[in-house]
Amino acid sequence: MGKDQFLFRLKKALKSFPVEEQNDILNDYEEYFSNGVKDGKTEEEIAASLGSPEQLGKELTAMHHVENVEGRNTTSNFFRALWAVIGLGFFNLVIVLGPFLALASIIIAGWIVSITFVLAPVGVLINTVLYPEIFAAYNMFFSIGLTGLGLLIGISMYYVTIWIKNKFIQYFKFNVRMVKGGMNHV
Amino acid sequence: MNVQFKKGVLELCVLVLLDQKAQYGYELAQNISNQIEISEGAVYPLLRRLTKDGLATTYLQESSEGPPRKYYKLTPSGSGHLQELLKEWQMFTNGVNQLIEGKEL
Repeated sequence: MGKDQFLFRLKKALKSFPVEEQNDILNDYEEYFSNGVKDGKTEEEIAASLGSPEQLGKELTAMHHVENVEGRNTTSNFFRALWAVIGLGFFNLVIVLGPFLALASIIIAGWIVSITFVLAPVGVLINTVLYPEIFAAYNMFFSIGLTGLGLLIGISMYYVTIWIKNKFIQYFKFNVRMVKGGMNHV
Repeated sequence: MNVQFKKGVLELCVLVLLDQKAQYGYELAQNISNQIEISEGAVYPLLRRLTKDGLATTYLQESSEGPPRKYYKLTPSGSGHLQELLKEWQMFTNGVNQLIEGKEL
């Protein structure tokens, strides 16, 4: 693989970047090639020492998405960063997707408990409409109590969700910085 | 050597070298790969991140041969970050060495 092919493949791997930044990155690698050629290396040798352009592209893209979610903490930015970091390699599939699924299920479970508790009186009302003869006042009071508890759980879940999301963003950052993403040598 | 966390060490190497003098990307990658087996392509993403995080800045300088080169140099907060990493690194390697020598056992 020569310089042109390396740059062409890298450019393809950088399609989620703004054009300006794409050119910036490509310029850096072009400079690298011209320095290497002056050093007496062939384009093929230089391309080989740089590693796979697709993997480089993935790595740069993951960094880019993690920066974006740090700047604008929206759910879509979060998921883009999550997938980009997972996409770095098999190792990350295990150490990123695993904890994510575990924590996401806990969060979802918490929200379901909260919503179910809040809606408890509705259940009692439906029951009363269907079987008026077994209406018991304490069922109603108990379910209203559950609504209160459900609201409290909901409020706590709100903060827990935000907290866990921010911790995950920090973890992405650490991961992109420290952990090898399927590259051969680094 | 093929270690998952080698990348973290690469950051330390780049900061140490930039602390000694401003360098351009190719020079930096050669200086590191002379000592450690790395994928030289990984140096640029790292340099971009250091620049974005305000740990390094870049400037263009004419070269005698060919087009101007992009030099990287450490900022004061980059030097601070380096000192922290060095401290951590020394604590870590001391610990590992002691375990290897069996002093703590």
